[in-house]
Amino acid sequence: MTEPSVRLRNLAKSYWRGTLEIPVLTGIDLEIPKGGYYALMGPSGSGKTTLLNLIAGIDRPSGGELEVCGYALNDLDDDELAGWRSRNVGFIFQNYNLVPVLNAYENVELPLLLGDLSRAERRRRVLRALALVNLTDRMHNYPRQLSGGQEQRVAIARAIVHDPELIVADEPTGALDAKNAEEALILLEHLNQELGKTIVLVTHDPKAASHARFQIHLEKGVLDRTVEVHDRPVLPRIILEAP
Amino acid sequence: MKFISLVLRSLFRNTRRTVLTVLSLAVSVFLIALLQSLLGTMDSLTTSTASGTRFVVQDKASFTNTIPLAYSNFIRQQPEVEAFTAFQWFGGEYKDPKNFFANFAVDPETYLQVYREEANLASIPPVQVKDFLRDGNGCIVGRTLADKFGWKVGDVVPLKSPIFNLTLRLNIRIIFTGKRNSDEMFLAFHIKQLQEAVPWMKGRAGAFTVRARNPIDIPRLCERIDSHFANSAQETLSITENAFNLNMMKMLGDYSTMVHSISAAVLVAILIVTANTMAMAIRERTTQISTMRALGFRSGQILSLLMAEGLLLSLLGSGLGIFMAMAAASAAAKVGGEILPWMADFIITPETLFLCMLLTLGLGLLSTFVPAYRASRRPITEGLRSL
Repeated sequence: MTEPSVRLRNLAKSYWRGTLEIPVLTGIDLEIPKGGYYALMGPSGSGKTTLLNLIAGIDRPSGGELEVCGYALNDLDDDELAGWRSRNVGFIFQNYNLVPVLNAYENVELPLLLGDLSRAERRRRVLRALALVNLTDRMHNYPRQLSGGQEQRVAIARAIVHDPELIVADEPTGALDAKNAEEALILLEHLNQELGKTIVLVTHDPKAASHARFQIHLEKGVLDRTVEVHDRPVLPRIILEAP
Repeated sequence: MKFISLVLRSLFRNTRRTVLTVLSLAVSVFLIALLQSLLGTMDSLTTSTASGTRFVVQDKASFTNTIPLAYSNFIRQQPEVEAFTAFQWFGGEYKDPKNFFANFAVDPETYLQVYREEANLASIPPVQVKDFLRDGNGCIVGRTLADKFGWKVGDVVPLKSPIFNLTLRLNIRIIFTGKRNSDEMFLAFHIKQLQEAVPWMKGRAGAFTVRARNPIDIPRLCERIDSHFANSAQETLSITENAFNLNMMKMLGDYSTMVHSISAAVLVAILIVTANTMAMAIRERTTQISTMRALGFRSGQILSLLMAEGLLLSLLGSGLGIFMAMAAASAAAKVGGEILPWMADFIITPETLFLCMLLTLGLGLLSTFVPAYRASRRPITEGLRSL
């Protein structure tokens, strides 16, 4: 049995509007093994992004236990949680969220600035991450000088440059055309299959979800069902190396 | 140091806004530096070391009135008095009304004793002193003033006074180098010239400057002199030279309060402008800040980066403002010093520089802290939603 990367026990999350408690997630029990590729699906308001945020450690649960990459996140204070994220989680956002005043190279380097790597070592890792997403020739370009697909590839390079165990992606293809979306999904799949990254993806798009090994369906804040994907697309052959 | 590039780029992400804010800051610091230095220069007139041993005896009603020279007999008898001299403002112009500078009719012998520090008596060749004392048309001129008009010892200077409707032709006998530029924007000649040419000046002077042996005797001396002439035809007012200079300055109004009020108003205005700019600059980066925090930046790191940005903005504005103020002060000293002698000493003092740097530092911290703190504490998920 593979050691779980994500383990949730009776997880709950509520928001308060004045004195009114609005439950978003209730009684979530879930285990995602290391190297797993899971797609969170469900209608709007079902709590899939909230669940992703909790797994990624950028939100706090209202109840239950949350263990990710070997850490009980409930026990960590805000600074410890930030440090944990910087080592263990790579983020991919729908709108890429690149820093506009930094070029592609500097955007990818950003997570590495939080560690104590030498400049040379940072450079080595950034160049490998950019090579991995096939954007070495665009490393001096600023986000405004890149297409949507290229921006998302820079964001993917940023998500893996510090070699995290877990990659979380919130609607990573939501702002891309079909061709670029397909490229981004293939890249994610390679990261999962060849580098063993655990990937949790939120998506509305069944085609995007079909790349995952399991689809978790949420309905009104509770886990509805988990479905294994059997007819996954065949990947073109590329060989990846960890940054 | 790893983040300096990020701070700089973030600061200039909206170049036009940053440049305009830096310019507003610079103009404000320029104004404050200039006003505070002006105040410092004016105050320095009332805090001269030599001035501490001197006081002025003038007409009680106004220093524009004259007093009898005979009053000197009583002053001379006071054991605490080391020396005294009579003087009268002449208000003469050289060739053209715009060539205006400080010029006085003085008793030459006693003047050199009373103002020996300002005239730098020790450095004047004895032969020049002798010539000045002997020549009834002789005058003593400061180096800066002489250089301005290209005068040298032996030249004849025509001086026309609209107050006395009189033109004097004076021989330059001494050109002295004073301790301060303001001391050198000055000309003095024999008071006898004035007394002979103007009938109503006979036996009269504008005021006396008295030099006490010890500064602690001054209050007692002032009181004794004023009591002696109380209820006479012309009562006197004896005040320290510093206070006398201050009175001259106060003709400009309560300049100190005025300058401080303007400085405070400028400071408040620029605080609001900078706070607004920083708040806008931070608010429009809500998503970016939340993304950085998601990537692992701690709240304290985000706060430090944003504070560094605010401080850098303020320092840029301050640096430019101080540079502008120093250039303006230098020009003002050159131009203004020709009309108002004390302006020749006008510089941006180290104290003012320090004050401006301190104010700017405070301004940067104050204007940035609230929006930066809020941005660094805002829930990450909330920030990521606000696209």
